[in-house]
Parts: sequence; C-alpha cells; structure tokens
Amino acid sequence: VSSTTDTIGTGPGAWFGHIGAALSGMAAAYRSDLRRRRRRTTILTVIIVVGLLYPLLNQYFLEGFSRNVFPLPLPDATVMTFMTIFAIMAVGLNIVVGFAGLLDLGYVAFYAIGAYVAAFLSSPHWSALGLNFTFLGNVAPGAQGIHLPFWIIVPIAVLVVATFGALLGAPTLRLRGDYLAIVTLGFGEIVPLVFKNLSSLTIDFNLGPINIALNNVNLTGGVQGINPIDPPFLPFLNVNFGARSGPLAVYLGLVLLAVTVVVARNLEHSRIGRAWMAIREDETAAEMMGVNTVRTKLLAFALGASAAGIAGAFQAAYLGATTSDFFAFSTSILVLIMIILGGIGNIWGAIVGAFTLEYLNASLLPYLGQRVQDSAPFLPNPAQYNFLLYGIILLVMMRFRPQGFLPNRQREAELSVVGVEEAETAMVEAAAEAESDTETVHELEPPLDLDNVSVAPPGQDETGFDARAPETPGEARDL
Amino acid sequence: MDQLIQTLIIGFADGLIFALVALGYTLVYGIIELINFAHGDVFMIGSLIAFALIAPTSVGGLGFFQITAATPVPLMVGEVLATLAITIVLTAGLNMSIERVAYRPLRHAPKLAPLIAAIGMSFVLQNVGVILAGSNQRTIENIFPTTNLLSTFGITSVSLTVSQVFVGVVTIPLLFALSWFVAKTRQGRAMRATAQDPDTAGLMGVDVNRTIAITFLIGGALAGAAGVVQILYNNVTVWNLGFRFGLISFTAAVLGGIGNMRGAVLGALILGIVSAMSDRYISSNWTQAIVFGVLIAILVFKPSGLIGQQLADRA
Repeated sequence: VSSTTDTIGTGPGAWFGHIGAALSGMAAAYRSDLRRRRRRTTILTVIIVVGLLYPLLNQYFLEGFSRNVFPLPLPDATVMTFMTIFAIMAVGLNIVVGFAGLLDLGYVAFYAIGAYVAAFLSSPHWSALGLNFTFLGNVAPGAQGIHLPFWIIVPIAVLVVATFGALLGAPTLRLRGDYLAIVTLGFGEIVPLVFKNLSSLTIDFNLGPINIALNNVNLTGGVQGINPIDPPFLPFLNVNFGARSGPLAVYLGLVLLAVTVVVARNLEHSRIGRAWMAIREDETAAEMMGVNTVRTKLLAFALGASAAGIAGAFQAAYLGATTSDFFAFSTSILVLIMIILGGIGNIWGAIVGAFTLEYLNASLLPYLGQRVQDSAPFLPNPAQYNFLLYGIILLVMMRFRPQGFLPNRQREAELSVVGVEEAETAMVEAAAEAESDTETVHELEPPLDLDNVSVAPPGQDETGFDARAPETPGEARDL
Repeated sequence: MDQLIQTLIIGFADGLIFALVALGYTLVYGIIELINFAHGDVFMIGSLIAFALIAPTSVGGLGFFQITAATPVPLMVGEVLATLAITIVLTAGLNMSIERVAYRPLRHAPKLAPLIAAIGMSFVLQNVGVILAGSNQRTIENIFPTTNLLSTFGITSVSLTVSQVFVGVVTIPLLFALSWFVAKTRQGRAMRATAQDPDTAGLMGVDVNRTIAITFLIGGALAGAAGVVQILYNNVTVWNLGFRFGLISFTAAVLGGIGNMRGAVLGALILGIVSAMSDRYISSNWTQAIVFGVLIAILVFKPSGLIGQQLADRA
C-alpha cells in the first residue's frame, strides 16, 4: 500500500508528508488489492457502498417506515454520526494499544482537548475577554468571539492534541504495561476536571515585562461548558454539517474516518509501524535491533491521540456545544471495548467494533429498553444496564476470545493462551528437529554457548530467527 | 495552626480507611502483579452491605440492626461488630470468587488480559451496586455522639470526634493483625514465597492457587471492613464510590511502593492528609486532580515508591 513511507523523518512536515502519500496512493492501492484478493475486495466494496447509501435510505425511506409502519431499531443520523466519531477514536486508540502495545486508559482526555480546541476557536466564548476575531467563519460580520472555519480547526486540533499526546508520552516512557495504564487513566481524569474547574481563574502575575492579571476569568465555561459552537460549513456550496443536517454530517464523519483510516493503514505498514510492532512484542529486543524506542513510543502516543483530536473537534462542532461531562472514564473504556471486540491491532476490527458498540449503545439498547418498558415493565431496562453488558463483554472476551472477532493474525498468536502454548510447542518441536539434523545429539542449549559457536546455532535458521520459545508466557509480554 | 491540626486529624482518619483498601491492592499486586481494578468496587459493595444491615427500612436498608444514635452503647458495639463480621465474610467471599471466576483462568495469559478483565469486573460490580441500591446516594444517620473528646482536656479549638476515634479503633488493630499474619504464620510465609516466585514456591510444596485465593480473601475482608467504617464515618454510600476511592487507594499503594504493606499504609496516610489539605486550603473540586497529579508524579519520578519494593517483604 505504501511506497513512500519507508523513510520517516520527524516533525509536522513528515507528518503531513504521510497524509499526502496516503491520500495519493488510494486508487493504486485499491487496484492492487483487487488484483490480489478479488473476493475479499469485492465484498468490502459492496459493504462500503451499501454503508454509504444507508444514511440517505434511512433519511428518505426507513425512518418514515419505522415511525409510521413498524418500529425498527434503526440508527438515526445522530447515532450514525457518533458511530463515525467513535470509529475515528477507535482507529486512533488502535494505534496506541493495538500497534504499539501501550495500554491507554485515558484516551478520552484527547477527545476532550480536541472538543475544547474547536470550542475555543469557533464560539463567542472569548468575547468576555474582548477577543473578537473572525476569519472565513460562517458568522454574521462583527460577531463576538473567535470564529475560525472547521477545516482550519481540525488541523489545529490535531496539532494541539498530538502535542499533548507527546507531553503525556514523554514522562511515561520508562513505565511498562499496567503502570502506564494507570498514569494515562490519571491523565484522562485530570483533563476533564481541569476543563470543569477553570471557570473562575484569578491570576496576578507581575514579573518585569511579563504582566498577567486575570480577575475571575472564565477560561473553560465550567460546568455549563461552551456553546454555541459553529457547525462545520462549506463556503461557496453553502452546506452546513450541524446537528440538524441529517445525513450530511454522517458523510462528513465518514470522510474524516476515511482520512484517519488511510493514514493509520499507511502507518501500520511503514517503518514506524514495524517499529511499533517490534516494541510491542519485545521492547528490549527492539531496542537492540536499533529501534529508537523513545521516538517510536512518542510517535505512537502523538499519532494515536491526533485521531481523538479530529473526533473531538468534529463532535463539538457537530453538537454545537461541549461540556466536561461528555468526557468520562467510561468513554475511554467504551473505545477500548470497541477495539477489543473488533480485534486489537486490526483497523477494520476497530471500525466494526466501534460501529457495533455505538449502535448497540445508542440505538439497539434504547430500542429494546423501550420495547421492554412497553410490554414488560417489570423486567430490568436493558438500556439502563448497558455498562453491565460491557463489563460482561470484557470478561467473556478476555476469557474466550481475547483476539476479538476480526483478529490481527499476528496479535492472535500473542494474545491467546492456547495460541502461545501451541506456538511454543511448535517452536520447541521445530527446534528439536533442527537439532536432530545436526548430527550431534545434545540437549537444547542456551543460545550463548561459547563451546559450540557456529554461524547458525541450533534452534536458529540462517536468517537469524530464533525458532525456540522466546520466553515463558505471561512474562514481560505487555499488550 | 489549629486549622492545620484539625486538617491533619481529618486526613489521618481518611487515610486509615484508604489504608485498608490500599492493602488489598498491594497484596494482590505483590502476589500476581495485577492491578485489581475491581477492588474499589468490592469496597463499595461492602459499604452497601453495611448500609443494608444498619439502615432502617424507611431509608431503604434491610433494618437487621437498625443502629441509631439512641441505641444503648453495649448493644451498639455488638451490632457494629456483627455488621463488621457479616460484611467481612461476604466481601471476602466475593473477592475470592472474583479471583476464581475472572482472574484464575487468565493466570498465564498476557499481563494486560487480566487487567482488562478486572476493568470489566469493575463495571459488573458497579452495576450490581445499582441493582442493589439504586443509582442515588444512600445516607444513614450519624450514630456517634458529636461531642469533642478533646474538650475534656480543655482544648476546644481542635475537635476529635468519636467517629474519628472509631475509625482508628477498627482499622489500626486490623493493620497489625495483617502484619502479624503475613510475617508470622505459615500461610503468611506461603504468601511471601509465592510473591517472590510462584513457580519455585509451587515446587517447594506451596499450594499456589490456594495462596492466591487466600490473598484475595484477605484483601476482600479488609475492603469489607473499610466499607463498614466508611459508611459509619461518612454516613453516605453510592454505587460509584468505589471508583474514586479505589483510585485514591491505589495511588496510596503506589506511593508507598506497590507490593509493600507498610508502604501502602504510609502512602494512604499521606494521601489522606494531602486530600484533606487540598479540601481545606485549595478546593474540593481540585482534590481529585491533585491526587492523580501525585500519582503521575510518583510513577514518573520514582516508580518504586517511597519505601520501594523490598522483594522479601512485598507480600
């Protein structure tokens, strides 16, 4: 898929280079995919085309049918838009958790930051401070506050959120596995709290030339949050993608999702993607092989977070309002469940998981809840206990299908207990076979046996792959 | 100055409750290196059980004991002890079953699989809390006299209430009992051995599964005791109490050096005082952020915690 991503630099320039390369490679990638896997590609194309037509079908036919003839659990435009928003986040979190193996339990922080960036840059919020600035915004001339168009806000949100991702990543690089999970969780709790509490800031800072005097300034809108936020708007065509635009917002969400997916897919197959997988499987070994683990992990955090920046900015602009209550720990976990359900490490799995779970959460469970209320009010309302269901999903998935429903083949072997054991048995057998080939019969020996130095020591083939069981399962095998 | 001492007293009492929960985290982490995310929710279930036992039916309890401020003291002591005993048995059993059902099958899975299972278990328990007690806060009346115990010594500017003494009277003996158990008994030695090296301990004849189950049993018992103390001290419980409380306690365990029991108690006392200070001098809105800030700072700058991980001591 990627031809230009083999060399990656750092910095925003390289990042935009990635996006450009990804977008320009799309048609060629499709053709080559169709050549190689005709059936799979055809099925995918059909699914995508039907998916693309569905919002229109829903708007002009199904919704009326459901309302007037027979109630169906159909996702409406809002639910579909949120399906795309969550899918964008799932693809982003999949970069951090699935590719690089860094468990991030505070992903919602980046979603919140993205939303507040959009809120700060396209709402009347700053008029209280006397900051009024409009640039290409879809507002009446002389409007109060700062108004930038959505198309400029999204890249800004991505940059801001990527910066915060790197800022969070930098101090946590030394931490492994579960400690990292807790630090990210703490970050995910702090960020919404900051947005909630910075509603009456008083600073009197006077140091020579720097003179900051804020008296009871409402920085973040506090509990009420910020509204109204300008909806995404296409000038010239005069198209508005706000909450009442129906299928249009869904299509905008799909476009944003497509951009995210293309970038993520190209990253996966690039040098940096291979580096992520290397540190996921064995950080020490990756470092020995010359992978710069610091830069690699920072990039995983920054790039993974930037997807949440897109999602957050889109969500805020779509709803036209944002409050810190949107961004709870449960949202982080919801996105995590999405990628676990779909299959950790697989972009398509992440999207399928996000669509399924958000549909379940916002459409199917409320529908079932309504039916239960109507016909059997003594039964528990399924919509009320959605997180009970998600908890059970997590438990059952971890126990019986940790690789998810659309597993990444590489991850599958790593994640399942049976898989690891089978792989190890196979490896030990292969090693034993390799040994019996070299006529000397001896026990499996440690790789560094100085008495028996040869070009390809027993258990290794010429390419240098160690065919032996690398380690006992459950030891230093961070997800 | 008086204000400071008062804040210290409040923080110390809070810290003792955190300590009971933190010990559950640190014991489990010490032995199977799992952040038992559901532990805070076991504590919450404990406080709900205590609520059900104590509160009269008029506020939604079962009214087994109906302790009120008017109950005669000997009867009240007996009923509180009975509540403690019942709650401890139930939460200990609950925690042990959680280990059996959710974590034991994942013992040899990659390290983060049990962590994710623990998160799932946490959600399940929270919903059990909602099913048991509804989604609103449950409150009981304060059963302790509100007199200032220090006034007998002629101090009136600082107050020490009966409820604060009660917290100490329940928690401190438990802490010593646990310390004795781990240091002196055969089972305690098995726990320390398993914490050091489960495979070798197994070869030496330690029943590893049983030892881990007992660790969860003890953790659950301490969480249940903390639940009872919590509701009698703060008079309020709610289904999501465990999440916040659990995170603070986990932070305490990490602060002291996870796996280290003395460290967990020290960390809990420090965090209790820090959060009381933050409530008093900054704003209770920021307390949670400050606690997490402490957590992040410690993990980043001194991941081994204040006391650090002494391998021989980390059961």
